[in-house]
Amino acid sequence: MKKLESNIVNMALSLTLIAVVAAGALAWVNNVTSGPIEEINKQAIENGIRSVILGDRDIQFTVEAPVEREGFVFHNVNDMNGNLIGTAVESTDKNGFGGALKVMVGFDPEGVILGYTVLEHSETPGLGAQADSWFRQESAQAESQPVVLDVLIGSPGKPGNHNIIGMNPGDDMMTVSKDGGQVDAITASTITSKAFLRAVNAAYKSVFGYTAADAVSGASSQN
Amino acid sequence: MNYFKTITNGIVKENPTFVLLLGMCPTLATTTSAINGLGMGVATMFVLICSNTFISLLKNLIPDGVRIPCYIVVIASFVTLLQMLMQAYVPDLYKTLGIFIPLIVVNCVILGRAEAFAAKNNILASICDGIGIGIGFTLALTVLGFVRELLGNGAVFGYRIFPESMNMLVFVLAPGAFITLGLLLAIVNKVKNRKA
Repeated sequence: MKKLESNIVNMALSLTLIAVVAAGALAWVNNVTSGPIEEINKQAIENGIRSVILGDRDIQFTVEAPVEREGFVFHNVNDMNGNLIGTAVESTDKNGFGGALKVMVGFDPEGVILGYTVLEHSETPGLGAQADSWFRQESAQAESQPVVLDVLIGSPGKPGNHNIIGMNPGDDMMTVSKDGGQVDAITASTITSKAFLRAVNAAYKSVFGYTAADAVSGASSQN
Repeated sequence: MNYFKTITNGIVKENPTFVLLLGMCPTLATTTSAINGLGMGVATMFVLICSNTFISLLKNLIPDGVRIPCYIVVIASFVTLLQMLMQAYVPDLYKTLGIFIPLIVVNCVILGRAEAFAAKNNILASICDGIGIGIGFTLALTVLGFVRELLGNGAVFGYRIFPESMNMLVFVLAPGAFITLGLLLAIVNKVKNRKA
């Protein structure tokens, strides 16, 4: 077949045809993938709730329908008798190093942090992106485990103080140690650390700034 | 046309990163670790092979006057397809590379190969060119990510080699990308000149 001439009819027809076929293909794939994508997002939220509230504990629980208020999303988690075990809060801080930082934090009814997970971030890989593991017990302990070269040059690491699990933002100063707080920032990622702690504190305030009755009745009226 | 030669050509003689210096934006931005470089390279290779195939197939149907818009529509469609497929079936990789996937549309490696190769050659040769250039790009990005992760993070593919106290953070950040790329280019040129 000879190459089509560049006149207006040919050009318009050719471009339109390609665009229509492309749109058709995209619509079809979108149709196929939208189910799995939605499933994955739902699964991510569910796994998040499970890990921030229960951790390794293996108990039966039910999750109430999520409640949205002032940019926060609340998931109340009850045990099988209907008693509140904890609340998972989705909280966003807009001023991370690379943009918005969205976390989910689990509080027990007294406000003690049970766990957390980073849902969305655009932090630097290898630096701020460590936020998902840095503020946990395991990370603080791993630092005190010397690696091969540490032993050779004789400088074993010392355990850091950046495990926030078990802290209570109502009692503990949850800011980076540079600002007089109790939490060591991620090495070379103070901005990310500050954003993360702001999100955690905001999440706490959003739950415990209200009376417990408020939160509970707000949750049940939605159901 | 020797198809095997077309493939090796893309990997060595016309390596898109080290020789043609095309597609610098994803090269510098995504290579903070070896696995990110590899993922970005493979994603780009997928789009490159698909777009080369289709553009070669449609080359007589596309009048010269509107070839660039047509190429862009084809490339953008494949990138969007890739984005949806990755989101649905490899969510972890999508999470790491998410913001860079839409940028493949404007990666000049892909438009460059469409214009310089696929529009002039038959389908099989264009597929081979896509594979060759794709492997070359993936290789370059992985090497770059490997060096930056090793120096900046003391780890390779997530496995720690040096203790954290010996990290040179600058290599993970933007300036480190330029420094590493510059040094790698110097090494590649040195080796090439010795051969000639």
